[in-house]
Parts: sequence; structure tokens; C-alpha cells
Amino acid sequence: MRKLSKVALIVCSSLCATATAQTIQGQVTNKKGLPVAGALIELEGSGLEVTTDENGKFVIEDASKGVKELHIRASDYAHLHKDITVSSDDSTEVSFVLERSPIEVIDVYASPIHLSSMESAIPVNVLGGDSLRREQAATLGDTLEQLPGVHTNFHAKVASTPIIRGLSGPRVLIAQNGLDVSDVSRVGPDHSVASEASTAQQIEVLRGPATLFYGSGAIGGVVNVVDKRVPTSTDTQGEWLVQHSSVDDQNLASFNATTGTGNVAFYADGFFRDANDYEVPVNPELEHDDHDEDHDEEHDSANTVANSSEESSGFTLGTSYLLDNGYVGISVEKFNREYGIPGHSHGEEEHDDHDDEHNHDDEHDHGGESEHGDVFADLEQTKIQLLSELTFEDSILSKVNMRAGYTDYEHAEIEAGIAGTTFKNETYELRLDLMHQTFAGFNGGLSIHYKASDVEAQGSEAFTPPSETEMLALSLLEERHFGDVLLQFGGRIERVTLNADQVLLPTIDAHGHDDHSGDEDSHDHDHDAHDHDDHGHSDADITRAFYADHEFTPMSLSAGIVWDFTPGYNVGLSVSRSQRAPSASELLSFGPHIGTRTYEVGALFALEQHNGESEITLTDDVIDLETANNIDLTFRKTQGDVSFIANLFYNQIDNYYYQINTGLFADDGHNHDHTDEHEGHAHEMHASESEDDHSGELPVFLFQTDDVILHGFEAQIAWQVTDSFKASAFGDFVRARLENGGDLPRTPPLRFGTQLSYENEALSAHLDITRFQSQDRIADFETDTDGYTLVDLHVTYDLAIFDQDTSLFFRGENLTDTEARVHTSFLKDIAPRPGRNLTVGIQGYF
Amino acid sequence: MNSNKKLSALSIAILSALLTGCGGDAETLIIERDPIVEAPDDSDGGEGAAPEDDFLIESAGRLAVMSDMAITIVDLDDGMQLDTFSLTYDGSSMYSSANSRYVVVSSRNNDVVEFIDGGLWREDHVEHLHDYEQAPVMSDFVLTGSRPTHVGSFDGQMTVFYDGDSEAGVPASVHVLNDGDITSESDAIPTLDYSVNMHGVAKAHDDILLSTIRRDDSESTSNTKILPDQIGVYHLHDGEYELEQTLEQACPDLHGAAQNETFFVFGCADGVIIAHAHDDDFESVKVDNIPELDGLRVGSVYGHKEAELFLGVASSRATGELVLVSINPSSNEMEVVDWQSEADASPLSYAFSYDGEALVILDDAGYVSKYELHMHDGEVEFEFEGQLQIAEDDVSSMPQGTNFSMTMAQNDHLLFVADPIAQHVLHINIDTLEIESDTELDVVPSGIVWVGIEEDEHDHD
Repeated sequence: MRKLSKVALIVCSSLCATATAQTIQGQVTNKKGLPVAGALIELEGSGLEVTTDENGKFVIEDASKGVKELHIRASDYAHLHKDITVSSDDSTEVSFVLERSPIEVIDVYASPIHLSSMESAIPVNVLGGDSLRREQAATLGDTLEQLPGVHTNFHAKVASTPIIRGLSGPRVLIAQNGLDVSDVSRVGPDHSVASEASTAQQIEVLRGPATLFYGSGAIGGVVNVVDKRVPTSTDTQGEWLVQHSSVDDQNLASFNATTGTGNVAFYADGFFRDANDYEVPVNPELEHDDHDEDHDEEHDSANTVANSSEESSGFTLGTSYLLDNGYVGISVEKFNREYGIPGHSHGEEEHDDHDDEHNHDDEHDHGGESEHGDVFADLEQTKIQLLSELTFEDSILSKVNMRAGYTDYEHAEIEAGIAGTTFKNETYELRLDLMHQTFAGFNGGLSIHYKASDVEAQGSEAFTPPSETEMLALSLLEERHFGDVLLQFGGRIERVTLNADQVLLPTIDAHGHDDHSGDEDSHDHDHDAHDHDDHGHSDADITRAFYADHEFTPMSLSAGIVWDFTPGYNVGLSVSRSQRAPSASELLSFGPHIGTRTYEVGALFALEQHNGESEITLTDDVIDLETANNIDLTFRKTQGDVSFIANLFYNQIDNYYYQINTGLFADDGHNHDHTDEHEGHAHEMHASESEDDHSGELPVFLFQTDDVILHGFEAQIAWQVTDSFKASAFGDFVRARLENGGDLPRTPPLRFGTQLSYENEALSAHLDITRFQSQDRIADFETDTDGYTLVDLHVTYDLAIFDQDTSLFFRGENLTDTEARVHTSFLKDIAPRPGRNLTVGIQGYF
Repeated sequence: MNSNKKLSALSIAILSALLTGCGGDAETLIIERDPIVEAPDDSDGGEGAAPEDDFLIESAGRLAVMSDMAITIVDLDDGMQLDTFSLTYDGSSMYSSANSRYVVVSSRNNDVVEFIDGGLWREDHVEHLHDYEQAPVMSDFVLTGSRPTHVGSFDGQMTVFYDGDSEAGVPASVHVLNDGDITSESDAIPTLDYSVNMHGVAKAHDDILLSTIRRDDSESTSNTKILPDQIGVYHLHDGEYELEQTLEQACPDLHGAAQNETFFVFGCADGVIIAHAHDDDFESVKVDNIPELDGLRVGSVYGHKEAELFLGVASSRATGELVLVSINPSSNEMEVVDWQSEADASPLSYAFSYDGEALVILDDAGYVSKYELHMHDGEVEFEFEGQLQIAEDDVSSMPQGTNFSMTMAQNDHLLFVADPIAQHVLHINIDTLEIESDTELDVVPSGIVWVGIEEDEHDHD
């Protein structure tokens, strides 16, 4: 930290006095000649930004001489790039005409190069404004799932995280204002993301490798939640929302507001959400062949997903000092969330007796005793962010962005009123973007990025030992327009160290049985009594312990071009090579992970056969980096009444860390008499015929590496039929396979959908129909998933009350009340999507 | 503008750094800690901890094979090439560390000594010995010093003598370290710092270090002044060696030294100095050159902890003359060893077997000669036992810059000889002087070093 602040100091002290300044003034109109108000004009490479008034007029003062590149953007219009020459006269007059864009174009916030869905070489989505409010859900995964290329891992509505082009977990980085959200959601699908959509301003998604911007952990993509917690203006403005949903009796209230006085700006946001277990159209548990056909009727009253309730709240306070050339500010956020973890019930058999299980799950009170050992998570996070943006004129630097954060995260998984496992993550992070003045036509800059995380888990499910990860990175991003061609390129070098003081390798009594299929589907076996005492381990249990020290130097390179080959169209090509250091959980895990219902063993270990006996020992393999080689091809129509974006991608990932089923089973660590938190050390492990006869045991999944190939496409098209009516359609597909044959698990199915929207002065209506095809490209321990179609309707009516911009909204989701099982979900078999959900609410802007 | 240029230069530097090193780096260090032992749950077992052998690994060890600018680690159990490490510098020399866990790579001209963890090692966990088998990995640990020249190991300690550099005004120094220092990347390596440069040599035993002293040129008896002519006895205090005694005899043009359990031997122009600890002091004698040396002097000395005799090598690089002598430190005698060579063969290297009972000499004609230490009329002597031809090819086809090389296993009666022509390593049983097997190589070996878990047959204390 100290080193970096020195750098900042040097940078700041090198900035010096003024020179003669010029003025640029002009007007922005649309094709019909009408002025466009509120358009933003940015003088590239200088950090100068102005907004047009109601007549579409603007003035940029203090511009220097020479050829300048202007970037003009306004909502509903295509962004415009124009080069102008600022002469030595005092004032330069310009005028710009904006073309309509039926696809919403929002720039990615605070990036050294321009990123938006229409202009950049790499594919980007930004969800903001009304679209964000329409799509927002309790979890980040469910919020973003309407974006092309993005799916949710739908963890029973409580902990869903985004999947980008088939990749998730440690390959998708979640950020808040450009800084790692620093929770433990990358470790397990049952761990919620500690970030809230309802108070966010925009959510940005970088599809495909984005290690260049965010480093290790972004090899599959990035989700960045942006809010105004450090305000940049003293104008009083904000929004509020209150809503109620039927499917889970959810109540949500949220607000955010900015105000200020003099040079000091203030910000506050808050939200509160409370939801019960959600209803589903069918019995939530997927039936197996040997069960009755008429299950539904029998369980009429019980069609809720047990233990899927949630209660969250959070507030953020921020303040900043506004300078002539930028701002410096700080914010503090407190985030709390309590949520049930479905499928995380202990001490009972899951599949054997449906009749008992599904008659009594209407209401759960987490504070009380829950009779069947339901587990819920109690999450708490404090986040402090220090953000600053400073622009400079007569210096080699045009802009310095500083982002620093401290996050203290903790979540406890509570069983029967006792904290069973506690996860902690304490992270310090600093990013410094140094953007230079336009130099030989190049805009861009250098970033220095430091992050230190201290992650630990304690308790019966502490499957990953405590570890410290430190990352220091240097990256360079540049772009330049050569006539109709935009070149964007960059490189990043990183040093990641991962230390764990106490990596544990329990002695495992491993047995090979003659006959094992390990197939989830084969439930029609005779369930022989399996006397575990046969394998009793009378020797002392010896747990080997190691100190592990990893040092990685991942490097990433990317280059892309966007060619406006004819007005209104462009084609983009992006090529990148990205590297990722494996995460602590991928390397060091050894223990039961109920969230995935597996016994996880990290890549530091290997399964060896000795005289027919399976034994887990330290691996002889070299622990290496994961390397993605990605090609992206994009074709776009950027303006006019019809616009579209089509992406093709091919991503070859070498040394991809993933889990394989070993066919063995191990103790789940919950040894029916909970006497000692630290038991879990010695777990019996053996192979066997099927899953059902192993209550209290989990299949052993081992991390290993292989080369994989992911390829697919995303496409979206929008047609502005009339001023008020718009039709759009989208589709996406990813194929994720091992190079040597076989498919990766939980890969999103082919999806396509349409949206019809009508908007006039007072009313807006959006009808979404989305089809998810079935998925039959599965890993060997998976099952096929059927396709389904979701129909959603959203209507907003503007009210002329309170003399404010207030509107009443109605939302209907899954209107056909269809059974929808999400192939990408770990809980596919026990938690389908919610049934028909009706939401009403009121929202306002001021 | 100037600063603009600087910035773009910086950008270019960074980009080119990125472009050149496209393959990122990944290193792993695993150190085993004491295991957590939990008492058995049920009382029917009651055997307690597992037998000691459970923690031991049967492994022939590994070979570090140097070729061109790389060192390849080969698993001797299955002949697999485990990993290849490219060398930073040309002209590096390779040794094994004191306990044979690490490959020591010293680059005299670049002032650096680097280490490759061979991946096989043993830890003493008090109640049992614990062996480890891991992938070989480049250690982050590096020793730096001016002109590291003589590297030697004895009884768990390795000494590195840095000659220093008179032109740069850098004096000589010595580092003494054990394998644990490398593992822990210790920053407190015991050091002896001189005030002058020299081409010297040091031998460590526990916290004693016998190391050479270069006197002022006006006092020095050496003809070549860079060679020291005195021997100092240094004692370790707070991480630094302090001079406690200077041996009384001068040793003009001192070059070459060796030690066994009791004695230290140094080669001088006019004889050899033999020193040993006596009470609190060191006693020393000078054994004069015998007439058979005929103008030659002992310039290299070989010894083994368990061997009662030292081998002295007296040779002239100019004439190619060579005389081998045995040095008996108990009787202070020097005798010629009958070097049973093919007509024009010259020895390439000398090695004692791991138990110190045999000495082998590898020559450039492709023969291994074996001598055993035998009692003869109450006197120990090197007795010629036999010779083994290890190369069938015409030795004149030897690739440039290479030659036969050998290394001794430290866990078995095995000698490994690398043949650059045939590109293989022969496994030779020293007891029977027979070739047991061979390991094919993908590279042309210019040197080999054994690393692995040492067995010390004679160390039962």
C-alpha cells in the first residue's frame, strides 16, 4: 500500500501549470433535427465531460489545440465518435447528429479503454436504468440471466451467481465499483454474492476472458456492479422502490440518494428484503423411475422449496470532496443476509422417503429450532471503498483513477442454532489507473493493481484450509482509431502468491468394491445393507499436514479491432491469451462440501492405486496455470431502426481445473453425534454401487486438469417498429467439452427468446418469452434436463403524483406456471424455478 | 515531450516484456509439517501409531542431467524425465547439496549459486523418519557472491568458496549451509568474509571451518599470489566465522583440500598439510612431496568421511603427466597409487562409494577403475580391484564440450556414468563392477548429479 501511494504522489507532483485554452461549442440533434438533451460529450484522453442542455447545446472549455476525438452518447441513441480539429481561434463550432439505436448502449464505467456493447472489440453487456430495475432479482445470477451469454446457476433463488459462456465460480469475477466483491461466492454455489442489484446504478458484464482488466479470476468474464456510493455531484437526486411478490411473499424496499453542499457530496442507499420459501408448480424433488406417477396430487399443499427463505438488508453511506478536476471520496457499506440453504439438511436421508418429507414446509423461522436440521447462512459484510478520479490537462497524464477497498466478510452456516461452519474473507485492494494524454492518437493507460485476501473456513465443512492470497499486477490498455478501424490492445502481468499454513491430508481408508457404477440414475438396485463397520478403522487416524506456498506469474495479452466497414455497421475481432492462477479451493480442498453435495479434494492431491486399494496422496503433477486462448468475432449493426449484435467465440482453455468423480464415497463429516467440531479429519472413503445406500456419505470429487474447448455464439437483434413499439430477439449457445472427449458438467442449454415492448408517455409494457432447450450434453455423473419456456410480462404506468417521476409497476413471471429445472444448478433435482409470480410495486425518481 | 517519450518507452518495455514471456510461471513449494494424530475411536485396535516404515519411500533417487543450457531431472525408478529447468547462465557447474536433496548450480562468472529441489527428501519427525516425494522445482533461494568457485559438502554441510574479484576490488568469502537453509530460504547463512580476494578453499565440520588465508603479497610464500599459503581455523559465532588459530606451517600455492571424520588435508606446492583437532586446538603436520612426484605437486585431494585414506592428484596440465598418491593422515605418509590406465587415458573424475569403502576413477578412454581400501601389512592402501569399459563407441566421436561424467548414489552401491555419445546413463554396481541397467536420455549429457534420500550405513548413533 505504501509503495503505491508513493507512486500516486509522484504522479500528482508531476502535474503542472496551465497553457492557453480553447473552447469547443456545438449542438447535438437527432436525425429529425430535434435537439438531444442530456447527451454526454467526452473529450477523449482528457477526462473532460459535458452534458447538453435542453436545446442540445454544449460548451467544452479549456480544450487544448490539435485534433481531438469526441465521444458523444445519449440513451436510445448510438454512440458517436468524431474527430475535430481545435484551431488556434478561441472557439470551435461543431454540430453532431445522433442515430437511433434500438439496442441500449451504455459505456462500461471507468475503464482505460472504451467498452460498450456496440463499440468494443470484446463483447460487453451493460444493464442499467429501467432495464436493470425490471430485471433485478434477489441474487446477482437471477438479475443478469436475461443478458445474452449470461445464465444463472439458480441456486434455489437464494444464492444464484452468474454463469458467463458456461464458466462460473473462480473463473468469473464479481466486482463492486471495479473492486473485488471479496465474498466466498466463488468457492461454493450455496454462498451468496455479497452485492445488491436494487441499489445499483448499472451492472456491467464482460463476456469471455477479462483478465486484462481484473486479473486471475476473470478468465471467464467479469460482473461489475456499479453504484454511486462515492458521489460525483452535489445535485440532489435519487430513486426509491417498494414492491411485493406473490410466489415467495417477498417484500422489498430500496432507495438511493445523492445530495451535497458546496464541495462536499453525500450519498446514501439502503434496502430491505424479506421472502419466505418459494412456491413451485410441481413437487420440487425430481421423481425417479421407481416412484408413483401421481406424485403431484399427493403433495398438493407442499409445493414449496423447503428452506429457501431469505432476509437481507444493507445500507451504504458515502461522501466525497469535489475538486475542479475530479473528486475524492469514501464510502462504508454494511450488508447482511440470512438465507436458507436448500438441500443442506443434515442427519436425514434425502431420497428414500418422499412421503415424510414434503408435508410440512410452509413456513420456516430461522431463529427457532427447525426440526429437520435445516441449515441457513448468516452473512455479514462491511465494505469500505475509497474512490477518486482526477483529470489533468497539462501533464503527461490526463486522468488518474484510484480505487481502494477494504472488505471484511463473514458468513456462518447455522445448523440447529449452532454455527457449524464459518467462512471469512478479509481483503485489501488497490487499483490505480494512470491514463495518459492522447499520444500519437493513442488513448489508454497503465494500471497497477494490488489485492491481498485472507480466507478461512472453520468447522465441519471447512473443506478448504485457511489461505492467504496476494496479487500484484501491472497492465497496459491502449486504443487508437485508424480511420474506420479501432485498435484496442493490452497486456497484463501479474504475480500471485498463495500460502496455506496447514493443508490437511487425512488418512483415508479407501476400498475398492468389485461392482460399482456410481451412476446417479441407477436407483433400481436392491439396496443391500452396507455394513460400514466392516471397514472400521482401528488404527490411529493420522492427518498429514503441509505448508503450501504457490507462486504464479500469469500473463495476459489481448488485441482486437473494430472496423466500421460501412456506415452503421461494424465487425470486431478480438484475440486473447489469458492466464489464471488456480484458487485455494481448487488446490487445497479436502473435505465435505454440502453446497455441492460432494467431498472435494483439491488438485494438490492425487488418487493412486496400490494393490487395488485407492489412496489419496500428494500429487506428482506440477501445479500449473490455466491458460485460455480465445477468439471472438463480432458483427454489429449499430444504428437505424434495426440493430443487431452477433458474437461467435472459440475459447480453448489448457490446463483447465475441474472436478472428476472418483467413484469413491466419503463421510460427510456430520457424524450423527455432533460432539466435536474438528472431527472431519478422518473420513472413511470407499467405492460402492449407488448413492442411495450412503446416507451420511458424499461422492468424492477430485480436482484435476485437462484441456477443454468452449465455443458458441450470442446474438441479439432489436427492431424499432414505431416510436413506441419495439421487438427484439436474442439467443445464445455454448458447447463446453474436454478436448479428449466428454462434456463439462452444468453447461447452459441453447436458449432463445423475444421481447416485445411498447412505450409511450405514460405506459410501458414488456413481454418476454424465453425458451430454454433441453440439455443432453452432460458429464458422466449428470442427468439430462428437459427444456422449458418462460413467459414474463412487465407493465409500468407513470403516475402524476407527488410532482415527481413516480410509476406503478406490475410484473408477472413464469405466467404459464411451468416446471423449469435449471441444468446449470447444483440443486436441479430439488429446486426448480419458482412458479407463477406476480409482483406489484411503486417506484420513483427525484 | 520528453516525458511523453519516456512514457511510451515504458509502455513498449512492458509490452515487450509481456510478449517475450508469453508462458506464465508457476511454482509450488510444499513443506510437510508434523502430522495430526488422533487416537483411535474404538478401543479394539490399540496398536497406536503406524510402524515407522509407513513413512519411508523406496526410491533409487533422481539424476540431474546437464546439457547445453538446461538441467533435466530423471527419475531413476522408471527413467521418466520429470522436468527440465533451463539455466540462466552458460558455463554453470552442478553439484548436489549437502544431503543430496538439491541440485546446486553455480555460475562462477555470474556470481550466483542456484538450487533445484530434486523433490526427494527425508525429515526426522522424532518418532519416525519421514520421506517425501515431490515434483522437482526450481527453488527461489539464491546465493550471491563474487566468483563462487569451490563447492563442497561434508556431513550435512555445504561450503561455497567465493574467490572474489581483484579487478572489482571484491574480497573472497565463504558460505556454509545445510539443506534446511535452502528449504527455508534462510537469510542468515553463516558467512566468512575476507578482506582480500583469493582462489581458496574451505572445509566445514560442525561449527569449525578450516579455510585458507592469503597473506600480503610481500609475505606470501606462494609463487602465484592469488593462491593462499596459510590455513586458518575459524569458529562460528553469531552467524559469522571468527579466526581462532592459524596453522603453523605455510602452504605455498595452496590448492585442493579434503576431509574425513578426523582429518583435513590441504595440497601445497611442496607437500600436503594434514590437520586435526586436538583438545581445543588444531594440530598440523606437513608431509613433504615424495621424489616420485618428480616436480609435480598435489593440486587436488579427495576424501570421504569414512575413508581412512585420501587420494591426492598431482598433474601437470602442460605436459599431461599425472601421478596419483595416497595420503595416510594417521601415519603421515604419502605413497604412489598405481594408476592402471589404458595407454593414453586421463582421469576425468574421482569418487568414493557412498560407504567410503571404494574409490572409482573415470577416464576419458571410457573406463571405470575401482580401488578398494585394504589393509596390507598393517597399512591401509588403495588396492586396484578391476576395470570396466563403459563405452563401446569410438571416444573420438565425443560431442564437443562434453565428456563422460559420473555421480555416486548416496543410498546404494551404484555408480552412474553418463555417456554423451550413446546418450545414456549406465547404472553400475560398484560391488560387482557390472552394468546393471541404463537410462536412455533425450539430451547429450555434459554432467550428472545424483539427488535423493541418502542412506548412511555407518551412522548408527
